[in-house]
Amino acid sequence: MKFLSIVQLTFRESLAKKTFIAFFGISTLTCLLFIFALNLDIVDGMQSSVSLFGAEIPATFDLREIIINIQSAVAALLFTGGIFMSLFATSSLIPTLLQPGFIDLFISKPVSRLEILTGRFIGATLIVACNILYLMIFSAIILLFKTGIWNWSYIVAGFIIVITFMILYTLMTFLSLLTKSGPFSLMLTYFIVFMSPLLIPRDQIYALLSSKVYAYILDGLYYFLPKTTELGNLTRLIVGGQEITSWMPLWSSLLFALFILSVSTYIFQRKNF
Amino acid sequence: MKAVETFNLTKHYSRGKVKALNDFSLQVETGQIFSLLGPNGAGKTTFIKLLVGLAHPTAGHATVFGKSIKNYKMHQHIGYLSENHRFPEFLTAAQVLYYYGKMSGVSSSDLKDRIPKLLKQVNLTDWTNVKIQKYSKGMMQRLGLANALIPDPDILFLDEPTDGIDPVGRREIRDLLKALREQGKTVFLNSHLLSEVERVSDEVAILKNGKLLQKGRVEDFISVKEQYQVKVISENNKINEISEKLSIPVSYQNEFYNIAVQDDAHLNKFIDSVRRESITIQAIIPRKISLEDFFIDVIEDKNGEVK
Repeated sequence: MKFLSIVQLTFRESLAKKTFIAFFGISTLTCLLFIFALNLDIVDGMQSSVSLFGAEIPATFDLREIIINIQSAVAALLFTGGIFMSLFATSSLIPTLLQPGFIDLFISKPVSRLEILTGRFIGATLIVACNILYLMIFSAIILLFKTGIWNWSYIVAGFIIVITFMILYTLMTFLSLLTKSGPFSLMLTYFIVFMSPLLIPRDQIYALLSSKVYAYILDGLYYFLPKTTELGNLTRLIVGGQEITSWMPLWSSLLFALFILSVSTYIFQRKNF
Repeated sequence: MKAVETFNLTKHYSRGKVKALNDFSLQVETGQIFSLLGPNGAGKTTFIKLLVGLAHPTAGHATVFGKSIKNYKMHQHIGYLSENHRFPEFLTAAQVLYYYGKMSGVSSSDLKDRIPKLLKQVNLTDWTNVKIQKYSKGMMQRLGLANALIPDPDILFLDEPTDGIDPVGRREIRDLLKALREQGKTVFLNSHLLSEVERVSDEVAILKNGKLLQKGRVEDFISVKEQYQVKVISENNKINEISEKLSIPVSYQNEFYNIAVQDDAHLNKFIDSVRRESITIQAIIPRKISLEDFFIDVIEDKNGEVK
């Protein structure tokens, strides 16, 4: 109950920030577009014509393929813009928690520091999950009603997006605990996100470097840091129902998150306020 | 059982460069109002922060009602008002008390009863559903006090509770603290307002540079031993003559004779002599100084010895 109240309060605090209202508005707008922009005529149980934003789509296209493409586009949008926006909107939650006078209200209560930090973390994740899953589930239902096609993989991809946010948010939590600065931790987290695609072609980078030490460093960074680019690809493959050749990007990124969250908890436990 | 007991509690910051608290040992009895006094930077707030778990001691240990301060579960017996508390501004007073009450482990049904009562107690009933971003400093302070009381604690730690509150509000808080003492609760107060402290406290401790200088009952600190104020009706300078005969130093101030006697027998001899001269005694009052005077004497004087 005590832990839940921390989660609830964080959820409310996030909701009080206008960013999530904007996020919710954009999600609703996207779904409304699906309602009005996608028109489908079925004659005698057969697809007669499909139009998107008024433009007729040739009958040679497979309807299921069209739906998957639409869902892939939404998932890609959420993976990039959605996560970007969510990190921005939640960046101040940990620094606010650490503010003198605010943290006192939590620590003086009969709750452990572990509960306070994880409650805050889960509260932030929960509101992001609500926003992302709202758009994905709502749009999937609209497409189901319009086309009769339901794609479970699209919903699973939603969870991957939420997990990716969680992984990045552990990093932001850690940086916020060290610096007490939301903007700084946000910038550094974005930097890590942008580093991810640069580390994929590291074999080509090795060729340009003189010492083998650099190769070890780059390899180390690649395996240690969250693999956002690969997680993006994983999301795309899941929506399309394609075969996943490796889950390594997911589990190694989760291990990173677990490690960073443990270190953050240790720091938070030891901190004087 | 002692409400608070500390054993050589020490807190250093910046790797020992800042010594906020040094070997601080203190005992606070249950059911009284105890005040911690000291100049800025004396270590008063640090001391409370250690007790409520906001900071970790460098050395020593402490208990609250016999339970170690290291155990966060003992916080269920604690109500805390920090010096600069910040509630989320998007909440109303009722919501603040609801969320932080839940965090204290109070059930929803108890909160339903307790919230209106507490808001009434701190005079915020009309503001129950107003977002606190519209509150004045004094109102925030009163809400902070309500928040400290929400778990129905056995001990209250209040850091500058009357800060920003007008005289009427201060009196209300004073009355509230006295009422809590009547209920058997212990109140631990940090305040700069020595006149307030003098009015409500049973015991005080004076702290300077992280060290305990004095601890004792307020009454004992402000009473001046063997000195009395005597008020009499028209005696035509006879008091001075009597005093001279009995070797009692005397001075006259604001219609009172201030006398300094050696002991009770000496005082009674003085009274007998006055009565023999048929002088009407209106009052004999043990002489007192203000807590502020005492505090300044201690702070300016001392070498850090516990008296």
